[in-house]
Parts: sequence; structure tokens; C-alpha cells
Amino acid sequence: MRIDRTVIAATAVALATVAAAPQAQVTYARLVRAAAEPQNWLTYGGTYKSQRYSPLTEINRANVGRLKLAWAYQTRAGLVETSPIVADGVMYVTEPPSTVTALDVRTGRQLWTYTPAIPSDVITYSSPQVNRGVAILDDTVFLGTVSGHLIALDARSGGVRWDVLVEDNHGGYYLTLAPLALDGLVIAGVSGAEAGIRGFIDAYDARTGARRWRTYTVPAPGESGSETWPKNDAWKNGGGSTWLTGSYDPDLNLLYWTTGNPGPDWNPDNRPGDNLYTCAVLAMDPSTGAIKWHFQFTPGDMHDWDANQMVILFEAPINGRERKLLAQANRNAFYYVLDRVTGEFITATPFSKQTWAERLDSKGRPIRKPGTAPSVEGTLVYPHIQGAANWFSPSYSPKTGLFYQSVREMGAYFFKGEAKFTRGAPFVGGGGRAVTGDESLGVVRALEATTGKLKWEFPLLSPGWASLMATAGDLVFGGTEEGNLFALDAETGKPLWDIQAGGAVRGIPVSYAVDGKQYVAITAGTTLFTFTLP
Amino acid sequence: MLRSGAMTRRSLIRSIVASVVLAAPAMASGGQGASARDIEEGKAIFAGACVVCHGIAGGGAMAPPLNRPTLQSAPDDATLQRVIKEGMPERGMPRVRRFTDNELSQLAAYIRSLASGGRAPVTGNAKAGAAVYEKSGCATCHIVRGQGGSFGPQLTTIGFARGPEYLRQAIVEPGAALPRSAVMGLRGYDEYLPIQVVTTTGRTVRGVRVNEDAFTVQVREMSGALHSFRKAELRSISKEPGASLMPSYRARLSSTELDDLVAFLASLGGTQ
Repeated sequence: MRIDRTVIAATAVALATVAAAPQAQVTYARLVRAAAEPQNWLTYGGTYKSQRYSPLTEINRANVGRLKLAWAYQTRAGLVETSPIVADGVMYVTEPPSTVTALDVRTGRQLWTYTPAIPSDVITYSSPQVNRGVAILDDTVFLGTVSGHLIALDARSGGVRWDVLVEDNHGGYYLTLAPLALDGLVIAGVSGAEAGIRGFIDAYDARTGARRWRTYTVPAPGESGSETWPKNDAWKNGGGSTWLTGSYDPDLNLLYWTTGNPGPDWNPDNRPGDNLYTCAVLAMDPSTGAIKWHFQFTPGDMHDWDANQMVILFEAPINGRERKLLAQANRNAFYYVLDRVTGEFITATPFSKQTWAERLDSKGRPIRKPGTAPSVEGTLVYPHIQGAANWFSPSYSPKTGLFYQSVREMGAYFFKGEAKFTRGAPFVGGGGRAVTGDESLGVVRALEATTGKLKWEFPLLSPGWASLMATAGDLVFGGTEEGNLFALDAETGKPLWDIQAGGAVRGIPVSYAVDGKQYVAITAGTTLFTFTLP
Repeated sequence: MLRSGAMTRRSLIRSIVASVVLAAPAMASGGQGASARDIEEGKAIFAGACVVCHGIAGGGAMAPPLNRPTLQSAPDDATLQRVIKEGMPERGMPRVRRFTDNELSQLAAYIRSLASGGRAPVTGNAKAGAAVYEKSGCATCHIVRGQGGSFGPQLTTIGFARGPEYLRQAIVEPGAALPRSAVMGLRGYDEYLPIQVVTTTGRTVRGVRVNEDAFTVQVREMSGALHSFRKAELRSISKEPGASLMPSYRARLSSTELDDLVAFLASLGGTQ
């Protein structure tokens, strides 16, 4: 009797595996070894290194021209900036403003969808109401919302396991990022510097939602870094948002998280100083939230050049010695390489036109050019107010050693205005007007990852918002503001495939395999497209 | 992190509520209660954020003149402030930046003060201008009230959309006054940009750019024929920024005729 049951159960499991591939637990051990299962896409950046690189090779230079549509999924209205997660036959996509939907990865058919209640008066001064994706750990997916919540959902049903308020949205705090799941922990950051928030990074118990730690990105008086703020109340509304997913090195046990602009953005009069830890990358102990080292890209920023761009972790020799490195193409138009063990500055070089810095010193600190501060009448500075790079993901291929970045080559007139803090009101102190049209340019650049040296470039038309993904098939996938989806030769930049998708591409490409067949998925407009070979 | 194009529902609702509440008293305000200092501050903000499109002293340029007693899209101060605050993306007006409430009221005070500064210099006679329009063959390429050719922009409501100085420049120096595109992906790009392409087979096509992306370009010849090319099929693409396929009428019109033509165009589509 007992044996029979076991046999029946085993048979049932086997059948289910064939028929529907029931979800296995996406354990922390699997997340650490995500690179070993390229058929899935388990974290925002593909792996903890955030390289947005697929080791799959079925789709390659020789055959990419024959890609065809497998299925499409139409999302809710709004701007779609999601990076799908693919785990064991299910794709989890997010839709604006804060919806998550599980799709059958074979057919695109919906398995469940969850939309939290979002108050109509939600405050999102820093961005459109978007969501960039979920995190998965064990049998739970984690969602941040524009109402300031972090929600854990059962991966099979979308049922709510827990729902916590990260911080009160009436004060301008909200979440657009994909959380990052570590060992029993969920890490989340917030948007809202344009409402005068004081930024922080939070860690929550993945099972219960209990907050384990909070690390503020703007120190209170007396705390480390407070010497870079004046002796007034500026720190209370000092910004330093943490609105993009970080990276993680399990061997060093260091969590890398980036921070945004100080507040108010364009009027620094009340906050003279470097304003730590804004516009920086922080290396943190994920068990305590302690900052182990930091590197500030833009001290005392006055152009809204957040450092909330992806930090990519990779290993390469520098002067003959193998190093653990961290690279970022920063919004301020410089590409940086740091030692990720110590935070030591290794090199930086401009990857886009910039007119604000004379040079960087040997520590990577910029020497500002005079006359580049925002003014009432407007000061023309490159890069643009939204930067030479922004939230959209770059990619790194260990095969080519190249760092691929979609670049926004444009300038803006920066205005300085009034900056008076009122809770729940914009706190920006100015703004910018873009130099647009034929005077601006979008371009994909491939940089030698260890030096930032330009290897090749592929011109787009207008500066875009699409992310890039390199693959072991020697391809770089991306999209354009004009609606093109494309694949370039990863070594030369030569275009090998493109299709007009009919909507501006703000999507983040991922790749995965089903039944041994490789797919590429990316959104354009409000449609998620998945492509495969015939 | 600030990205353009964000319009929060909260601020929209607030503005609508504000406009309902304030519409009646604000209608008549016209800068009342605004100090000379507010107007001066508003002028400084205007010089940075608004002049490039609305012209010096709001005389109109690429965007409509603002030196009028009544603004069609902003009849009262609350609506004016909302328009400045949120932009009118559907009409090509961006939200330039976020302003504080004080900055908004200073800007509104300055813009209202322009009405008393007199209208833009439209010195010609619109009726005579209509005859100049006909005689000069403008209808070959432009539609006014349903009549005319389609190679150039429709002009039926051009007097509402553009200021007189811009219209004058478009007649005498058309290449310096190309409109900005509203086509997807080309927002902010020059419309009617002259372009010449040579295909890999040696064929040359010259016309205006209708649309473009990283992989394709669409060109309309003066004959009206539309061509679409993959860039991979082209040997060369030459764009001529600052030029126009419309000839300059500087030498073809007397100064009176020019004034009259500007007056005619300025009268089109505007109740203002």
C-alpha cells in the first residue's frame, strides 16, 4: 500500500514535470549559481554580478537573422520597463504601475496576476509610475509598489504572503525597483529625492517581512559622513535615493548598492559639501547593513546625476594581476572601474560628451569646470539632466571582455530655482530643458571593460531608454526609442537583425530556454515580445 | 532621479480642484496682487525656461504668443499655472521643470503683465495678405481651410500655433524655421528636413524626411512620391539642417506684401 502510493506520487510528479513543469524552489543556492542554469533568468541582472549576459548559444551570429515571434503579451497601459524573471517554466513580468503577472513561458498565457491597491493621490515626483521587475526566492516573489509597499506573493498563485509599508508615500517615498533576494533576506531601496526624502536601503526577512536593518544614505549629525554636510537641517531632506537594484558578491559577502542625487537637485546653496553618501556606490555587509566602503562619483552634485546605474561585477587582470572589479557607466558621463574588494579607484574615462569636469584626480574625484552650475537663466551643460546613462541596464560579456552601454549623448540647460521644503511637495530647486532633436544622439557603445576604451559604436537615432543584453552567441540585443528591436555583432557592432515593434522600447531584454530551445524576450511599448528560431 | 513626462495624478487632481475653486476670482486677476518684484522674478524665470519657444516678451515663436489679454488654453490663472506645471505634451509643450507654487505665481504674474505690453507687431492687412497668398502660389504646397496641396505643413490654424515673427521668418528664411516633429520617436526633431539619399544601385532621391529610425528612413519627394529605404540599402544619406525645400520669398514680395501675408497667416485659426 505504502509502496503503491509512493509509485503513484512519483508517477504524478513525473507526468507533471513533462506536462507543466511545476515550480521547483528557487533556493538561495540556486541564485548563487544562477549562471549554471542559463535556461532560467533568476535575478534582475541575470546573476548577482548583474552582467545581463546569457551563456546560451543556440541563437547566434549565423542565424539571428531568422528570429521569429513566438508569442506576445500585452500589458496594462503606461510605461513598461520590466525585466522578466524566468524560473522553471514560469515568467514573472511587472506592469505599470505596480502589477505582477505570471505567464506560462511556453505560450504566454496568464497564470495569475496581482494588482495592489494604489491610492489615486500617490506621490511619484521622481519618475513615471513604472516597475522594473520582481525578485524570486524559494516559492515567493517580491514586489515593490509606487505606494511605498514591499509585498511577498506566493509564486504559484499570486496570493499575498505578507505586505509591509517600507515608508509613508505621503512623504514622497515609493518603489519602482526590482528587489534583490539574498539568503533569507530581501533588499529594497526607495525613490523620492525630488520630494525631499532621506534615502535608505532596507533588508527584510524573506519569510515574515520583518525589517532586519535600515541603512540611511544620508548620515544624521555625528554619524560617519556627516562632516560632508553643513551644520543645518539639510540632511533631513538630503535625498540619496536608492531606486535601482544592486549587485552582490557571495564570496566577499558584499552587497553593492547605488545612491541618487542630494536634495534639492539643482540648488545646492543650503547643502555645501560633498553630501555623502549621495551619488555613490556603497559596499555593505548584508547581515548588518554596515557600510564597508564607499565611492562617490559626483560629490556635491547639482545636476541630478544620480549614481543609480547598474554596477556590473567582473574579474579581469589589471597590470598583470587578476582583480575582482566593479564597473559602472555613470550618469555623469564617466565610465568607472573600481576594485570591488576595497573600493579602490582604478580608472575612469568619459563614454559620452561631457562639459562639466576638467578631469578626475588620481582618486577618481572630479575637478569641476567653472561656470557649469545651474543658473536662473539656464546653463548649457553636457550630459543631459537625465544623464549619459540612466536606469537602463548595460551588459558585460565575459567572452569579449566588453562593456555595452546605450548612451544618451545630449546636453541640457540647467536652471536653478527656489528650494523650500514642504512635506509632500516637489523639492527640486530648478530643473532642465533638453537640447533635443537633431542636436542629440543615441548610440550603443562597446567599451573595453578594464579601461573604458571605445571598441566600437552603433548609432541609433534619438537617445533611448532601452537596456542591452549580450549573449554567448556573440550578440548584443537592444532596442530604440523609435521602436526598433535589434541584435548587433558583439565583437564588431555590425547590425544582424532588427524589427519594427511599433512602440518605444523601454524594455530590458532577457534570454532563457524552454525544452532546449532559446528565446529572447523584451518589451516595446506595452507589448512583451518573445522571439525564437523557426 | 527626475525624468520628464511624469504627470502625477495627485498633482493633476489638485490642479483641477484648484482651477474649479479659483477659476472665478482668478479670471479677473490679470496679475492683480502681484508685486513688481514678483513680475521681475517671473521675467527672469521666463527668460530661462520659456523664451526659446514663446519668444522674447512672449511675442510668440515656435510656440504661440502669450502677450494677449486672453490665452485660449489658459483663460484663468489657475489653468495657466497648471499648463506651466504639467505642460501640454499632446501639443508639444513639455513640462520644462518643476516650479514651486511661488515660482508658478511669479511666472503667471509676468505672463499676465505681457498683455498690457501690447500685441505683437502685426502691421499688415490680412485681407490684402489673402490675395498675396493666392498670387504667390502658396496653395501649391499648403492647405488652408481644406484647399491646397500637401507637400508643406497645413496652415489652417497656423495663426494660433505660431507667433508673427516666426511666420515672417518662415516666409523669408524657411530653413531657419523648420517645425519640430510630433511623429513617434522623432519628437523634437526637425520636420520637413531636406534629405538626399543615394542607393547602393546608384539611384538618388531628394525630398523631405518624413520619418527615420536606426534602420530605415522615409522620404517624400516634392512630387509627393513617398520612398522608404533600409539604411543598409543606401550608399549615403545627406541631411541639410538649416535648409528647406521651400524657396525664400524675401526677394519675391514687397515689404507691404510681406506684412500683409504675415497678417493673413496670423489671422488663421485664432480667435485671439
